[in-house]
Amino acid sequence: MEGLLQLLFNGLSVGAVYALFALGYTLVFSVLGVINFAHGAIFTMGAYFTYLLIGGAVGANGLLAGLQFPFALPFWLALPLAGIAAAAVALVVERIAFRPLRDRGSDPLLALITSLGAGVILVNLIQLLVGAESYSIPVGTLGSLPAALSIAGAKVRTVQVMLLAISGLLLAALSIWINGSRSGKALQAVSEDPVTAQLLGINSARVIQIAFGISGFLAGMAGGLVGLSISIAGPYFGIGYGLKGLGVLVLGGLGSVPGAVLGGLIIGLAEACVPADLSGYKDAVSFGFLFLVLLVRPQGLLGRPQANKV
Amino acid sequence: MDAGLLEQMLLGALLGLSVYLPLRCGQLSLATPGFFAIGGTVAALLSTRVPALAGSGSTYPITSVLLEMALAALLTGVLALGLGRVVLRLRGIYLAIATIALVEILRVVTLNLEFTGGALGIFGIPQPFNSAAGYAAFTLALLALICWLCDRLEKTRPGRAMAAIRDDELAAASQGINTADTKLLAFVLSALVAGITGVVAAHFLNSWNAKLGNFDASITTLAFVVFGGSRTWLGPVFGGLLLTALPELLRPVGDLRLIVFGAVILVGPLFFPQGVITPELFKWFKPRIGGITTAAAQGVKQ
Repeated sequence: MEGLLQLLFNGLSVGAVYALFALGYTLVFSVLGVINFAHGAIFTMGAYFTYLLIGGAVGANGLLAGLQFPFALPFWLALPLAGIAAAAVALVVERIAFRPLRDRGSDPLLALITSLGAGVILVNLIQLLVGAESYSIPVGTLGSLPAALSIAGAKVRTVQVMLLAISGLLLAALSIWINGSRSGKALQAVSEDPVTAQLLGINSARVIQIAFGISGFLAGMAGGLVGLSISIAGPYFGIGYGLKGLGVLVLGGLGSVPGAVLGGLIIGLAEACVPADLSGYKDAVSFGFLFLVLLVRPQGLLGRPQANKV
Repeated sequence: MDAGLLEQMLLGALLGLSVYLPLRCGQLSLATPGFFAIGGTVAALLSTRVPALAGSGSTYPITSVLLEMALAALLTGVLALGLGRVVLRLRGIYLAIATIALVEILRVVTLNLEFTGGALGIFGIPQPFNSAAGYAAFTLALLALICWLCDRLEKTRPGRAMAAIRDDELAAASQGINTADTKLLAFVLSALVAGITGVVAAHFLNSWNAKLGNFDASITTLAFVVFGGSRTWLGPVFGGLLLTALPELLRPVGDLRLIVFGAVILVGPLFFPQGVITPELFKWFKPRIGGITTAAAQGVKQ
C-alpha cells in the first residue's frame, strides 16, 4: 500500500510538470495552430532565473562568471518572478519568430523553423553567459519546511508535494481564466477562428501575445520547480522536457487544456510504473504509449477530430 | 576546403533529400534520423562482427560497403513499408509527432540493447578509404546518383502524383491518384536514402552510437529542407550543404557561432518563405530564347 502511494506521488509530481509544460504548448497551438519549438528553451530560462533570484552565483565558465545578485529572495517569491521573466522572453520570441511570419501571411509550418532558430539562440546564449555546468537549487531555500513528509506511511519529498500543489493551483487558475474572464473567452474565440474573432472586435494580435505570455510564465515556473526538485543540468536540459511535453500534448489532444493535464498525468504515472531495472526504457514507454494512442485515436484523448474539408 | 567538412556537407545534403521526399508529397515526416540510425547500426555491426566482409587488403573492401548499403536499404525499406501504412493515416503535425516518437523509441532501444554497444556505441568501424577525400568522392557519386533519381522521379507519373497530393489531397484522389500508395512510396524512398546515408556515415565517423539519431537531428534535417526549399530536389541539397557547413564556417566568430546559426534559421524563412531554391529561380536564369513564345505562354497563364 505504501509502495503504491509512493508510486502514485512520484508519477503525479512528474506528470504535473509535464502538464504545465504541455499547457504552454497548447495555449500557443490553440491560437496559432503551430508548435513553439523555443518552449523548452524558455523553460530552461525560467530555471536559471529562479537560481539567480534565490541568490545563486554563476560559475566560472560564462561571460557572467561570478555574477550574483546582491539579494537572495525566498523561493516562493523567486519562482513567480522567474515566471514573469520567462514570460517576457516568450513575448520576445513571439515578436521575432512568429509575428513577422503572420504579417507576411507565410505558411504556418515555417514557424516550426523560426521558433527552432529562436530556441537555438536562447540555449546558446545561456551557455555563453553562464557556462555549460549544472546548477542546483539548495533545498534550504524552502526555509523551515522539512525535506520529506510522511503521508499514510509513504515517505514523500516536500518538493514533490509543492510541485503538485503549485501545478494544481496554476491549472485551476488557468481554467478559471479561460472560461470565466473576458480575455479568456477572447482566446477561445481566436482559437476557433481568428478572422471571425477579429471581425467581432477582438484584437487577435493582443490575444496571441497574452497566450505567449501565459505560456512563458507556465514554462518558467515549471523550470524553476524542476530545478528545485532535480537540478539544472545545463543549458540543454529543457530539450528533453520539451520533447516529452510534445508527447503529452498530442496524447491529450492538440489545443485541449484538460487534455494536456490528463496527458501529463498519464505519462508521469506510466513512467513511474516502469520497474527500476528497466529504467533505461522509460522514455520508450511514454513514446510507445503515445504512438499507440495516435494510431487508435489520432486526435488524442480529448481532442476534436480533424474534419475532411474540400 | 577541408575534405572532412565536405564529406559532412554531402551527408547533410543526402539527409535533406530524405526529409524532402515525403514533404514533396505534403507529408511532414521527421523519421529520417531513425532510419539513418538503423543504417549506421547495420553498417557498424556487419563491418565489426562479420570477418568475411573484411577482405584481405589493408583497407576495408568497397564491395562490402555496397553490400551493407543493400542490406540497410532492405531493412529500412521493409520497416518503412510496414510502419508507413500505419503512420501515414495521420496528417500534418500529428504525423510529425508520431514520427518523432518513432525516432525516440528507436534511440532509447538502441541505447539499452547489449549488441548495439549501449550508451558508448560501437567503435573501430573499419575504413574503406584512407582519406576524407576518398569518402567525399564516394559520397559525391552517391549524392549525384540520388539527385538524378529524384530528378527523374519529379518528371514521371509517381512524382507528379506526389506534387498533386501536396497541393490538394482530396482533388488528387478524385483524379484517380492512389494517395495512400503514393504517400507510402515517398515514405519508403525517404527511408532508403536515410538508411544508405547511415552506412556511409558510420564508416566515415569510425564509431556509432544512439545519439546520432535523436530529436535534434530530426529538427536540423527539417531545417535543411525548409531553408533550401521543398519544391525541387535542389533545395534540400543546397540547404543541407550550407547549413552543415555554416557552424564550421562561422568558427572565426568563436562562441557566437551557434547563436549566429540560430539567427540564420530564424531569419531565413522570413525572407525566403518558399525556401531559397524555387522553380521560379530556374525560370529566371533560363536564357531567354524564343522570348515571344514564352511571353505568350505566360500571357495565357495569367
